[in-house]
Amino acid sequence: MADVGSDSAQEGGSEASTPSSSKRVTSLLSVMEISVTEPERRTGVTAINMKETYTVYLVETRITDMKSELLPETFTDETFSLWRRYSEFELLRNYLCVTYPAVVIPPLPEKKIHMMWQKLSGGEDKFDPDFIERRRAGLESFLLRVAAHGQLSQDKIFHCFLHLGENWKETVLATGYQNKMDSRLKTLNAQFRLKNPDRRFQDLKNYSSELEANIANLLKIRERLAERLYGIHKIHANYGRVFSEWSGIEKEMGDGLQSAGHFMDVYAASIDSMLEEEDTYADALKEYLYFADALRSICRKQELLQYEVEKLEDKLVYLKAQKEQMEQGGDVKSGFSLKGMTTKLFGADTPETRDKKIKLLEEQTQQTEEQLQAAKWELSTYIDRSLQDVERFKRQKVRDLREIFINYSIMQIKLCKKGISLWNNTKECFTKM
Amino acid sequence: MADGTDSGFSEGQSSGPGGSSGPISPDLDPLNITTSTVDLEESLDMGAEGDPKSTGDDITTLTQSSLAGLRLDDALASDVHDLFVTVDDPEKHITNMESYITYRVTTKTTRSDYDSHEYVVRRRYQDFLWLRERLEATNPTHLIPPLPEKHSFRRLDRFSPEFLKTRQAALQKFLSRIVDHPTLSFNENLTIFLTAKELASHRKQAQGIMGKMGSSMRSMAAGYMLKNRSPEYATMQEYVNTFGAKMGTIDRINQRLLKEMTDYQQDLREFGPVFTLWSNSETELAPAMLGMASGVEKCEKALDQQISDQEHVFAPPVKEYILYAEAMKAVLKRRDSIQMEYELTVEDLSRKRNDREQLKMSDQSYSLGAFLGKDPEEVRQQKRTKLDSQIEELLKQVEVSNDSVECANADLKADLERWHRNKRRDVKEVFSELCDRNIQYYQECLSAWEETLQEINQKSELETASTLATPTSSCPDTPNLATPTSSITPPLPATPTKGGTEGGAAEGQGGTQ
Repeated sequence: MADVGSDSAQEGGSEASTPSSSKRVTSLLSVMEISVTEPERRTGVTAINMKETYTVYLVETRITDMKSELLPETFTDETFSLWRRYSEFELLRNYLCVTYPAVVIPPLPEKKIHMMWQKLSGGEDKFDPDFIERRRAGLESFLLRVAAHGQLSQDKIFHCFLHLGENWKETVLATGYQNKMDSRLKTLNAQFRLKNPDRRFQDLKNYSSELEANIANLLKIRERLAERLYGIHKIHANYGRVFSEWSGIEKEMGDGLQSAGHFMDVYAASIDSMLEEEDTYADALKEYLYFADALRSICRKQELLQYEVEKLEDKLVYLKAQKEQMEQGGDVKSGFSLKGMTTKLFGADTPETRDKKIKLLEEQTQQTEEQLQAAKWELSTYIDRSLQDVERFKRQKVRDLREIFINYSIMQIKLCKKGISLWNNTKECFTKM
Repeated sequence: MADGTDSGFSEGQSSGPGGSSGPISPDLDPLNITTSTVDLEESLDMGAEGDPKSTGDDITTLTQSSLAGLRLDDALASDVHDLFVTVDDPEKHITNMESYITYRVTTKTTRSDYDSHEYVVRRRYQDFLWLRERLEATNPTHLIPPLPEKHSFRRLDRFSPEFLKTRQAALQKFLSRIVDHPTLSFNENLTIFLTAKELASHRKQAQGIMGKMGSSMRSMAAGYMLKNRSPEYATMQEYVNTFGAKMGTIDRINQRLLKEMTDYQQDLREFGPVFTLWSNSETELAPAMLGMASGVEKCEKALDQQISDQEHVFAPPVKEYILYAEAMKAVLKRRDSIQMEYELTVEDLSRKRNDREQLKMSDQSYSLGAFLGKDPEEVRQQKRTKLDSQIEELLKQVEVSNDSVECANADLKADLERWHRNKRRDVKEVFSELCDRNIQYYQECLSAWEETLQEINQKSELETASTLATPTSSCPDTPNLATPTSSITPPLPATPTKGGTEGGAAEGQGGTQ
């Protein structure tokens, strides 16, 4: 996995004491290590009394600096661990999404297989060991990223996730985070048009779409390449076998052919570990695929908030217009108006009624103005925070992606060197023949 | 009988394995050819085959040009260095009836039975076929090298440059093997092939002589009924069958590998551009992504060469040896039929002798002759005389036949030994080449990725330098902002960005501890 800790720590996750770093120990990851290991199968009973089987993961935390001020008070032991299942991770993430709307929340590994090319490699079975291992790695990365984030890492629910064995779920629900989840946020998929869309978030939206498309494309082709390369190497095992058989009927050439055949087998087998390694880089990339989604939701929330502001502004304009109209004595303007209609039907207002109405309008106007202020404030705070976090995200992304590319290149270099050495050995078998 | 060459050949056996040996001793090199091959080498425009001290390096150069160059019989001590042949320059001919390809066949020789030192003629595939048929017919006891297949199954285009190149190389090899054979190289059909201006007339003449095979027709099918076949021939048969099968397997594996490599290349071609496309939406990472794209592209180019090698360098020799196995089966059969001929003759003789014995005791009074009025004793005498002469005839035949068998056995044995030696050398050469090409492929890929790695790393330093220089407009890395619980803060007119205290820390996300 990409080095998540670089957000706030050097590789390895423990704190380094360089002069420039000692002034900014901003996240939990600098003083502890988290790992997700040992997937195990459990059987249990669902809410509707049906038997279910699921996988749990061991979440282990090890504190490296017991004296640090960053540590929550509840963390009194040096190491502690507990079992969590995927749905609990999901719950944690949902909670974080609602509670920190301006933060680009790290993604979880996928719940279901939704890409065709994964199905082919047997990833459909949720108990397939390969799938479980990759999920485990994804979960670990998620926790590390949360712990590396200055804000998220200070969240109590997150601490409880790591520490509280029983009733964690109830604790989460007790925060009532679901209520905080505005009905506004619930309608994230609603369509609406902004009058003055914020250019920055438009750009961000476009960027996230491009990011998603590019990574998806890359991953698809890489999977195909992996299959082909696998095929090519395995065919060499056939060479190995036929050389071995052939060596049986030859006298002077027998030994040479036999050893050459052996090297062909080695060559064929060498691809397995390389592809496993490559898979981890592909998974790291996939994380960013999901990050694109998180970016998009940041944009949507901004749009919603701005929509609120615009709605209120519109209302204000309307109310003011209403008031003006009233004050001017209810002149029937040309064209249809409700006022005009009611005036015709019921007669004009009396002065008292008019005053009452004007007062009402003034109250409403004031109320709306206050609401507008609040909404504007909410919007601008949100913009500040989110843009800040997006910047943090972008920097992290640059680091992570670069590391992925570096690792991939190093892996290729290793593969080439292995190939050179192997074919040299094979050549010797023939030159010595 | 090629006695002389046989003994010359066996001497050659001691020249050691592979193709390299010391300087040729003068008595084995009467024409002093090896030292004068330098001139020939230049004029023939061939590889480094002339140097008798061929070492590893030269073998590599030999290998590289081996497709176009000359294949030496490994017994450098044999006296067959006076005839050199090259095949090149395919040309298309179009007539009303058909269109076909001819190749230029160049011969250089110092042999006295050739009128001139150099000949250049044009031959088409059919001509080669003719030559081979003639050689088989006139040298049934010898292993005749195979010709490439008439049709190429994969490509429908028999005029494509790759196909022509491959075929040309195969034809070259065919002729070289013949020319290196102590007996076959002196065959008059070969001379005609190499020297005659026009082969068509000779070809028509030859049609009628195809029947020479006829006499041994009756024994062809009876190969398995041989009584006294020495077990070594059964072993040879088994070897040839297994060898042929293994070659066939290798050929199939080759084809599968070729297909996979081609498919892999297709996908690689799509891979690079994805990075390039992605780089358009990234700024700091763009150079790294372009570096990735270029790495992939270079590998794809190297793969291109691999694929071509797979098809044109490694596949043809395997195919040749598949055909060689067939040729070996044929010569084994012919040897068997010669032995069959002998055994049948011996059987005939023994039967006749039996008859003669029987005659002594038989009663001729009921014979046809007696019936016709002859004296039974006379009949007996007549019959006896007849049998005697038949037996005498048969005795001669048996002797001739026996000689044939022994000749055939000797020829076959010599040819097979030579074939095994050549095969070992060929396997060594071709597979070493295969390894070399693979090494080269990986080396090219290696340097491509090392370069890519450099590019990825390099830019990161540049960036770090620039981030240090220009404080980014935003904010401290991990926002030490009010926690969400304080969302009750009073509505202030929004002012963006708290001052940026970026700078300082290394790459952006600073506070990297």
